[in-house]
Amino acid sequence: MGGVTDDILMRVAEVFLVFPTLPLILAFTRIYIVAAGSTYWNVLGINIPVGLTIVITILGVFGWAGNARLVRGEFLRVKEFEFVKAAKALGADSRRIIFRHVLPNILSPIIVVSTLTIAYAILSEAGISFLGFGDPNAITWGQMMQESFVDIRIAWWTEVFPGLAVLWSVFGFNLLGDGLSDALNPRLRE
Amino acid sequence: MSENILEVEGLRTHFYTEAGVVLAVDGVSFNVLKGETLGLVGESGSGKSVTAISILRLVPRPGRIVEGKITFQGEDLLAKTEEEMRDIRGGKIAIIFQDPISSLNPVYTVESQLGDVINTHQRLSKEDVREKIAELLQMVGIPEPYVRMREYPHQFSGGMKQRVAVARALACEPDLLFADEPTTNLDVTIQAQVLGLMKDLKTSLGMSMVMITHDMGIVADITSRVVVLYAGRVCEIAPTSVLYERPRHPYTEALLAAVPRIDQRKKLAIIPGNIPNLISPPSGCRFHPRCPYAKETCKEKMPELEEIEPGHLVACYEWRNLSLNGVG
Repeated sequence: MGGVTDDILMRVAEVFLVFPTLPLILAFTRIYIVAAGSTYWNVLGINIPVGLTIVITILGVFGWAGNARLVRGEFLRVKEFEFVKAAKALGADSRRIIFRHVLPNILSPIIVVSTLTIAYAILSEAGISFLGFGDPNAITWGQMMQESFVDIRIAWWTEVFPGLAVLWSVFGFNLLGDGLSDALNPRLRE
Repeated sequence: MSENILEVEGLRTHFYTEAGVVLAVDGVSFNVLKGETLGLVGESGSGKSVTAISILRLVPRPGRIVEGKITFQGEDLLAKTEEEMRDIRGGKIAIIFQDPISSLNPVYTVESQLGDVINTHQRLSKEDVREKIAELLQMVGIPEPYVRMREYPHQFSGGMKQRVAVARALACEPDLLFADEPTTNLDVTIQAQVLGLMKDLKTSLGMSMVMITHDMGIVADITSRVVVLYAGRVCEIAPTSVLYERPRHPYTEALLAAVPRIDQRKKLAIIPGNIPNLISPPSGCRFHPRCPYAKETCKEKMPELEEIEPGHLVACYEWRNLSLNGVG
């Protein structure tokens, strides 16, 4: 690491980092809805809402760069540890060093950031839908909140419970990340 | 004299940094005899460690071995492929690093770390590997090996960790062991224990050892011959007792004078100045700016090693005219 491939990947990541995700999603789903052809893709008998797929895809395509940079940074940090040098000096090849010595040591931050990313994605989707830019054909918590917003005075629960669902699932994914990274930490085992 | 296990000739390892080319090792030649303990001494930055990692061909970028010849058991190491080198590393030549705390991987048990090294180099059944690990741990003085091998490095003390690191380096019975300041991070009593252990193991396993250190006390204690490095060049090579009694290089004299002595109440001598910048090292003898005996010639031409008595080599123009003080 630190070579040409690394340079190229990181420049690409930086390009993705500077894209404003939210306006892109808003624009793309609008374009889709205006130019709507079919509202569902039928894959193996399951109807997949196209607008929601666009939202998810954009969140994914523009969300990887931050995580990639974090993993790279952690990798570079652990790579310099003496046990990596020692492994190399005792005959380990690169594959072994990457998968056996470096990766397990950066698992904690990877897990934490992955679960945070899941939580962030749920939150983003809810926000987008709530603003009315989501896919009207998909049933999501954000969509539910958006649609029942007008009825909030007569049926408050239609607004509150989808909101609580978002809150709890985001919270749950955070806890999951913490728990997993603790469970994999040998210092806390025994 | 017995035969050489390792010969290094004219080794140059340079680092191509943005600030310029760092001549970390610049023409180092020495040999290691079968079964001996050789000391590689010098200040920080004199090229001791770089010499060792050059021999293992582990020089990190932007460093590169520019020229030289490294012959190990009659084979040219610089001509080997990376794959062949991997078999040699840990199999025939092993190295122990300075910091035992970070030289063990925190996420694996001692068993799996030692097992890793054994499995890289040998084909053994699971039970045999376990038994071998237990033997190794026993050998380096870790009690209850079958219990302790299931523990993680953080459950060991610093001295115990270094013992595990020693066991790991010895796992495949290497013929040559580099010890890169193996005791600098340990406290003094543990230092003595680990050194004693290494001394014993060296004799019982019949391997050769290169002890890299700046501690002249350790050198006197366990080495039989010494190579003194300064700024990437060899100053002096001599049997340990000869070096301490009649050093011939002004730098060796200065190094010895800088060792605190309990039997003489005098001020500790320091070597004035710092180790030179290796991007643009001084002309001529690299030590001349700090050398109290430097003459005009020392500034102009780099002195080569010459044998002044059997087994005693010095790179200094003035050695005939100097009477230097040793210790002892």
